[in-house]
Parts: sequence; C-alpha cells; structure tokens
Amino acid sequence: MATAQRLLMKGTEAIAEAAIRAGCRHFFGYPITPQNEIPEYMSKRLPQVGGVYLQAESEVSASNMLYGAGGSGVRVMTSSSSPGIALMAEGFSYLCGSEIPAVVVNIMRGGPGLGDIQPSQGDYAMCTKGFGHGDKHAIVLAPSTVQEAVDLMALAFDLADQYRNPCVVMGDGLIGQMMEPVTFPEAPVKVYDKPWAATGKPPTRKHNIINSLYLDPEELERHVYHLFEKYERMRADEQRHETFMLDDAPPVVICAYGTMARIAKTAIRELRKTGVKIGLFRPITAWPFPVEALSGVVQSTKVFLAVEMSMGQMIEDVRMVVGRDRPVKFFGRPGGVIPTVEEIIHQVKLLSN
Amino acid sequence: MEGCVFTKKDYQSELKPIWCPGCGDFGVLSCIYQALAAVGVPPHRLAFLSGIGCSSRIPGYTTAYGFNSVHGRSLPMAIGVKVANPELTVLAAGGDGDGFSIGGGHISHAVRRNPDITYIVMDNHIYGLTKGQAGPTTVPGTISVTTPYGLSETPVNPLLQVLASGCGFVAQGGTHDLKGLTKMIEEGIRYKGFAFIDVHSPCVTYGREEDQSKELKAKSELLADLNHDPSDKIAAYRIAEEYGKKLYCGVLYRKDGLTELATMHKQVQKNAKAAGDYPRDEVFKRNFLVH
Repeated sequence: MATAQRLLMKGTEAIAEAAIRAGCRHFFGYPITPQNEIPEYMSKRLPQVGGVYLQAESEVSASNMLYGAGGSGVRVMTSSSSPGIALMAEGFSYLCGSEIPAVVVNIMRGGPGLGDIQPSQGDYAMCTKGFGHGDKHAIVLAPSTVQEAVDLMALAFDLADQYRNPCVVMGDGLIGQMMEPVTFPEAPVKVYDKPWAATGKPPTRKHNIINSLYLDPEELERHVYHLFEKYERMRADEQRHETFMLDDAPPVVICAYGTMARIAKTAIRELRKTGVKIGLFRPITAWPFPVEALSGVVQSTKVFLAVEMSMGQMIEDVRMVVGRDRPVKFFGRPGGVIPTVEEIIHQVKLLSN
Repeated sequence: MEGCVFTKKDYQSELKPIWCPGCGDFGVLSCIYQALAAVGVPPHRLAFLSGIGCSSRIPGYTTAYGFNSVHGRSLPMAIGVKVANPELTVLAAGGDGDGFSIGGGHISHAVRRNPDITYIVMDNHIYGLTKGQAGPTTVPGTISVTTPYGLSETPVNPLLQVLASGCGFVAQGGTHDLKGLTKMIEEGIRYKGFAFIDVHSPCVTYGREEDQSKELKAKSELLADLNHDPSDKIAAYRIAEEYGKKLYCGVLYRKDGLTELATMHKQVQKNAKAAGDYPRDEVFKRNFLVH
C-alpha cells in the first residue's frame, strides 16, 4: 500500500490502525459504545502482526493489564468511553506513580451516570484534572478530525515512552463514528530504551521493582517532585494548539476543541462572509493547556466565547488564562447534543448586541 | 546463565522482610526460594507480581522482576506481563483479602484464559496489614475490629470456587509443613497453565488461636497418605468441601494438556497470518480506499 493513498475510514478504525503502525502490539479492553470498533479492529489485526488482543473481564482489569504489559516494556494501549474510563482510573493513577508508559483512548459519550451513547465532551475535567487519585498529570491530546486522530496516535505513543507516563487521546463519539479520508504517515517507529522494564534480560542487570509505594513521606515527596519535574517539562515543551482566522486580530475569539472546533470553523466562515471579524483558538493538548499561545491572543480580543459539548469544562482553563480583563462567555449543550453552526452564529450575534 | 544451578541465595534480595516475628509468610517465602532453585528458574527470567497486603510484599524479597501492584489486581497484571513477555516464568502472590475479596472477580477469568502463571495465596483469614478486620475467609462468629458482635457472613471457599471455574491445578498447603509446601510450589511452577495454591499461613498478630501453625498441624492430613487421585475431580470437590474444617494438604486436582493462553495466541496468530486477509493489502483497499 503506497503511503500517499487516501483511505476512507471510520475514526475508531483509523485510531486502531494508527496505533498498530506506531508499534502497539498489545491491546486490553472491555466493550463499551461508542468505541467498540477499536477493540474489534484490534482483535482482527493484532494477531496478524504478531500482537495480542485480550478482552478483560472489566475495565478495572484492563487498566491493570496495561500496567503489567507496559511494565514489560512493550507499547500498550486501551480504549474505552466515559464510564469505562472512570473505572480505569484506578490503574491510571498507578501507571503515573510507577511511571509506566501507556496510551489511553477515550471516545467520550454523554454523562453523568450511564448517560447515553451520543458524542459528548463531558470528560474534559476527568481527563485533564482527574484521571485517578493523587498528584499527577497526563498529556491529553484532543483530535479534531480523523486525520488528526491518526497523526496524534503516533505522537501519543512517543510522548508516553519519552516521559514514562500514560498519554490520553480524547475524542468524542463523533470523531469515533465518522468516516473521513485519511493517509497514514510512513514514519519509522521510535524505539526507546527501557532499562526499568521486565524484559527478562540481561542477567547482569540489577533487579527492578515496579512500584508506586513510598511509605516514608519524605521519600514519596521526593518521588512526586521527580514526577512534577517531568510535568513541568511537559508544560514547557508539549503545549499544542491551532489558530484559525486570527491573523487580523479579530475582537471575537471562539475557544473550542475536538469536534466542536470544526463546527465552530464552519460558523466562523459563515460569519466572516457577513463581515463579522471572528476567529478560533483550538487547544490540541487539553493538558498541558496551551497557556502561552492563548495569552498572546488576549490583548487584541474583546470577548471570548467558549463552545463545548458539555456544560462548560474547558472554559475554566480559558478563564484561568484570560483572567478578568476580558469577558469569557459560554455556549454548550450537554447530554450528547451537538451545538449546530446556526446556534453558534446566533450566540455570536448575541455577544455583539 | 541458562542451565546453571541456582541456590536459595540467588533469589534473595537485599531487603529484609518486615513481617511480624513468627509470621507464616516467612515460611512461604523460604519455600518459594527453594522451589525456584529446584526448578532452576534464572532470576532474571522471573517476574513476580503481587497486590497489596502483608504477603504482597513478597516480590520485594526476591531478585525477580517485581511488581508490588494494585490491591486485588495481581492477576490482571500477571496476565499483562505473561502476554507481553511469554518467555518469563510468572508468579503471582497475595493474601486472601487481595485474592478472594477485592480481586475475587479476576480469578475465574484468569482460570478461563489459563495462562502459565503460578498463583500463591497466603490465606490467613484476616486483614493483617490494616490491623485485623474480618476478611473473605474469616470464620463466622469471629470478633474483629469490624465485627465487634461477631462475623455473620459465610466465608468463601476458594478451593471449590477455583475447581468450579475449571482450573487445571489446585493445591492446598500450610506453613506447618514447609517441605510439602515447597514440593507443591515446585509442581505448580512446572505445571503448564494456571496453578492455584492456597497456603494456610497464620497471622500471629491478628489471627485466631485455631489458625496458628501448631493447630494447623493437628488438623492437617496429607492427601498422599489418603491415596487421593488428583485426576478425580469429584474426589477433589469432596476434599475442597472440607476447606476450613479439615486441612487436606497436597494437590487436590491436576489436569494436564489444557489449552494454555500463549498456545492459544500463537495459534490465532498463525491462523490470522495464514488467512492473509490483513487490510494492508486487498481487504484494506476494498474497504477503505477512496475511489
């Protein structure tokens, strides 16, 4: 298959294929809608490339299998949707504490509780600020198109290995279920040295204990400081964002990510046609939030509008950056309802009144 | 290194156990060292996983690759290790609370997958690390810090549970007979598939008088002396039924030749490659190519 070929793929399938091309050979998961095509694809594909697909008895079990396999030094991944991610939180905290790389895909659905199976962005807070107990973080990548999801999968595995920390790819049900043309970049898989992993060799190596237990508080404090030295590096080096139609410093800036950002782009194009000066700021890393880049936009902006498929979670990060000098308005719809282009246009018009 | 002779010392780490003096787990640790030496597992080819609890400290006292993991999750993690690195000899260990309560849901699924893992449970019928709360195998009526009026729940029977799940190697031992226990663990490690060994390992600090080594000895009987046939599953069930009453030591049940997880995966990979329908080529183009 030539590199340049464009393929029409569902987001979930493209994510799975991208993971395999990034060197992932071990997948552990548990069925949940709307991400089932990822495990289904993996179950078919992984054995063909010498990998293993294993359906766990629960999400709790799957996240702990990640710990075991990731601790053995291989590239591992799980995928789930909101309630399943919440169950996996146990394992995620341990992965952070024990510094085990893994990639976690969350195809978000409506909540709270069982909620529904429609696209939502209700897990922003859980992924960026929660993700289990204790002092820790994980890089959260938020793709806006199927192509971007493909590109970010390889990055997710590299970031996980580079920082020895789980990395989250946070999409919503729409990214997962939508079909779009994609091309797979033909980049060689980066290989990271993992002297800490249970690989069974060489015999001369000092034995390892993979652990997150530090009973002496000062020792644990030192360990957490060590973790936060990594998180500070992530904050400094890994902020990613996209701007759209911000070149003429428009007074109105929409902040949106993922599916919401692409709907916002359409609304912005429409508004621009009618003479409204407006642009988009799109975080690609939900954590670390692109603080630096957004700060640079504040001066020239009169009003910000955060648009989300939730009751407003990213808006807290936007407000943190923008401060009190500029108003940050909100429009969002929860429960798996997707705001439309018309609704966004209407909200922008309300701003100028 | 392969083919070398190993001794107990090769498996001892520099960490000294911090269990209470007299704890049964000292004996179990010693048996594990001996069994590993007898099998000749090179320490660097050994992964030892545990959950949380007094007994779960055990990997740290060995020179194995160790995971002191998450409460109740030693089996999912052990499966993760085995799947990622099938070449390793994998042991999992923990207590009865770790294995039969918080991790209870994982056992039957581990059995279903039948990975080549030896699972040793140090069963002391109490939560020791957290200072004496009633656990899943605590005897009814027991007064503990969380059952001040006496425990009203029926204990789980791990032997029956594991047998009923279809496990191909089920054994029971105790720290009153370390020689027998060593042999049992050795046999478990050699067994191709999931081996379950329930070890009565007394808690000297919070355990009942009746569960201490001396009493264990008094109520124990060797299955070998009873001419028990480990291939007889019905007989194994009858023995398992006596869990908590009599202490029958030895291999209750053994069935060889069950399809093991690694073999299963190898076969799946072979079939998948033979079928040659990976989308990279034809199927991929047919399904996904933009025309």
